[in-house]
Formats: sequence, C-alpha cells, structure tokens
Amino acid sequence: MTAMAALLRYQAALLLRSQRWLPPVILYAAFLGIGVQGGQPVLDSLGYTAAALLPVAAWLVRICTTNEPPAARSCVAAAVGPARAHLACLLVALGTAAAFGTAATLVVTLISDPASADHRTRVPLLAAGTAGLLAVLVCALLGTAVGALTNWPLLRSPGRAVPAMLLAALLSVVVTGSPAQAAVSGLVTGSQSGTVPVPLLPLAGAALVTAAVTAATCALTSRRSP
Amino acid sequence: MRDLQLDNVGRRYGLRGPWILRGVTLTLAPHTLTRVEGTNGTGKSTLLRLLAGIDAPTEGRVTGRPRTAYVPERFPQALPFTAEGYLTHLGTVHGLSRAAAARAAGEWLDRFGATAHANTPMTRLSKGSSQKVAVAQALLAEPDLLVLDEAWTGLDAEAGAELERAVAERTAAGGAVVFVDHDPSRLAGASDATYTVAEGALKHRTDKATSPSGPQVSVDVQGPPGGQLPSEARQFLTASTQLTPGTHRLTVPASHSDVLLRALLTARPPWHVVSLKQSADPDHLPLDDEGPR
Repeated sequence: MTAMAALLRYQAALLLRSQRWLPPVILYAAFLGIGVQGGQPVLDSLGYTAAALLPVAAWLVRICTTNEPPAARSCVAAAVGPARAHLACLLVALGTAAAFGTAATLVVTLISDPASADHRTRVPLLAAGTAGLLAVLVCALLGTAVGALTNWPLLRSPGRAVPAMLLAALLSVVVTGSPAQAAVSGLVTGSQSGTVPVPLLPLAGAALVTAAVTAATCALTSRRSP
Repeated sequence: MRDLQLDNVGRRYGLRGPWILRGVTLTLAPHTLTRVEGTNGTGKSTLLRLLAGIDAPTEGRVTGRPRTAYVPERFPQALPFTAEGYLTHLGTVHGLSRAAAARAAGEWLDRFGATAHANTPMTRLSKGSSQKVAVAQALLAEPDLLVLDEAWTGLDAEAGAELERAVAERTAAGGAVVFVDHDPSRLAGASDATYTVAEGALKHRTDKATSPSGPQVSVDVQGPPGGQLPSEARQFLTASTQLTPGTHRLTVPASHSDVLLRALLTARPPWHVVSLKQSADPDHLPLDDEGPR
C-alpha cells in the first residue's frame, strides 16, 4: 500500500469517527431543504445545490485541518513529510464535499421539473444532471481552496479564520470572475432559456486555482509554527 | 541509510521573528545514538523538529532524509481510535501493509505492557498509556531515524527501560537515534555524541567524564579459537578484558545487554556465554586495549 493511500484512509477514518462531519451535512441539508422543492425547474435547483456546497467544502477543510492534535500531526509529518500530511487533509475534505454534492445533485435532479424556468421548454434530465455534477465539482474545488487559504497553516486563531472563511466563501459564490459564480450563473441563465450549459471552463479554472492554493499551503506547512 | 546532514541550519518563526536556532551543523550517521541537552526554551524541541523533518529550516540545508519517526513529549488523547486502531493506521502510514501493521501494533503494545489497552479508545487511556502508544507508533515500522523528544515523560519504569532497549535495538540494526531527556542517567554511557543547545547555537560536548555511565552488564564469553568479536558486539562495549586466552569479559550499558547477547549468539561461529552479571558501579571495570569505542 502506498503511503498516500494509507494517509487518505487515516484522514478519512479520523473525519468519519470524529463525527464532526455531521454539522456541515446538516447545514447543507437545511440549505437545500429551504431552497429546493420538488417540481421546481431543474437547472435553477442544481445551481442552488452547487452554490450551497461551497461553504460546506470550506468548513470540511477546517474540520480536517483541526481534527488532528498538533502532536499527532507531528508524528504523521515525520513519517511522510508535513506537505503530504496536509495534502491528505485537503484531499479528504474535497472528496467528502464532492460526495455530499454528488448525492445532493442526484436527489435534486430526480425531484425537479425537467423544464426551463418558465416551465415551457423541456430540459433533458441526464444533461442537466451532468451539468449539475460539474458545477458541484467546481464549488467543491473552490470551497476547498477557500478553506485551505483561511485555516492552518495560513490563519490559526478561530477569531480570524472563521470570519475570513465565511467572507471568502460568500465572495467566491457572488463575485464575477470566480469559477463558482460562473458555473452557478451558467446554470441559472441556462434555465431561463432552457439550454443546458457545460461548465468545463469554470471547472478548469477551479481546478487550477485549487491546485495552486493546495501547492502553496502544503509548502508552507513546514515553515509555520505548529 | 545515508547520513542525515544539517548544514548551517537556522530556524525562526515568521518573517522577522527572533532566531531560535542558528548556524547548526550536525551529522547523524547510521548506528549512532545522539543526546541533545539544554535548559528549557533553548530550542531543543525546534532542533528535533528540524531533524524529524516536521519543520523546514529558514536558512541552511538538510540533506539525506531517511525514513523517520518522531515521538512527542506528550501525546494527545483526543483521537477517535482505539490504541490498536490508531497504531495500525500509523503503521500503514509508515509504509507497512495492513496485516504487518496490525501485527506490529500488537507486538509493540505487548512489549510496553499495554496489551490490555489495545481495544481501549484513546480518549480513555491514561497519560502513561497514551505515551506508550506514541512510542509504539514510532517503533513499529523500524525507522532509520528515530527522534525522541522527552519520549520517556509519563512512562512507568518498566516501559522506560523497554524503550531504552528498543533504542539499543534500533542503533544495533543500523538506525540513527537522537533524543532529549531531562534525566541525565537516561541511556547513560550509550550515547555516541552529546550536544548542548544554548543561546540558539549547538555545541558538541566532549567532556565525557561528567556524564554518568549508569548500570552496566558484564558478560563473560568464550570465543571460537582465534575468533574475532563480531563487529555488532564491539559497537556498544564500554569495557572489554581478556580473562584467559579465548575468554573475555565484555561490559555494556544495561540497556544494550540484549543486543550484545544477540550479536554473540547469532555470530558465525557463535560465541559461548559463560556468565552474566549486572553491576551498578562501572568505574572499577578495567579497560584494556581491546577497544571500547
């Protein structure tokens, strides 16, 4: 078994057994419960599903990076290097967010009305679901980047980290130019005309941003105080 | 394993923080035990974190990173695993297969007298027991470099002695071990080098006389005619006398008696152990030219 696979299993087990993943799931479910109802236009609901995932992904990163007491993190860092230890944290948070988002997208696609916003044009369900999955992936990636930028090793005190994280998550969803905003608004405008977008460009942008942020924060782990 | 080398290494936190360590040049070679001393707050822990690769140097270079394991002074109990579950995870993180990790976890819990706690959640372990888990975590993958930052804190006497023996095994097997401990008799007489951290700098300590040599074990052995002592046995001797032609009295620190016997009995051809004796006062033991280090 490679060290990275073992690290991912360890971090995933840590997250699962700590049960700290429950509050973000409940929050996400509450978001969706308020914003999505059966029979609404599918692309609108999928846009909402993706947007709501972004803060959840950031929160999951915060949970994963604070889950391990510093002394335990040091033991793992000595074995595999601090950068790889941190990478495993981020990947587990991203994977968990993507899994939640995928499950939510499936449900939302099935309960929504396969039609445009004015309920006149038919929208193919499979294409809509695929577009929703891509948008969810964009938001999971960008939420991971937001979480990585606003938690250890960059920010440590919760007094600064949590407000910074919430603000950054909000901005990532609403500010023009953000891949998440592009993916979500693509779904919403697609819903008005009844055409299904393929948000590949936002996905590429989000992947690039998240990869850069991940590389930078992983490189910083051995330079900051524990 | 190659030598781990620190070359003019310095470390500070933040862009303008004060230097915690500076100008540190140090080599850790295979088969060596290194002690680091210094009063509180001098940067011993920072040095150990640099050696373990947890922290990167702000300036200077670290080369030759081997497979490394680290034991912190106080191990947290806030982990959602059982002792055995945590150790199995860490074993795989250290590169073992799951089966090998589970087996090693059981063995090391057994060696430290913590088998009864194997299925206890970490959150319910005593401080001493969770320190045993921390130590087992580092030992189970047989690392090339073992970094012990006051690892004995909280261990009972038996577990502490077992850790000393485990350190002897690691160095005998070709690993490098570096440790900090407030007890001057810890692994007394067994260190190959002692360094002192003071005012952010590292000094090699050469005044061996002031460090106590601790309890010793003398072994009378008979070799094959014309046989040379195996090099694994010579490595840790504090004294060696030829009693009669072919018969020798070998003295090692008590923590190293097992590795000496193992080396003698597994040599080809093997040596015969005539008798064995523990002595608390090593200063009267004769030294001869047969070469303690």
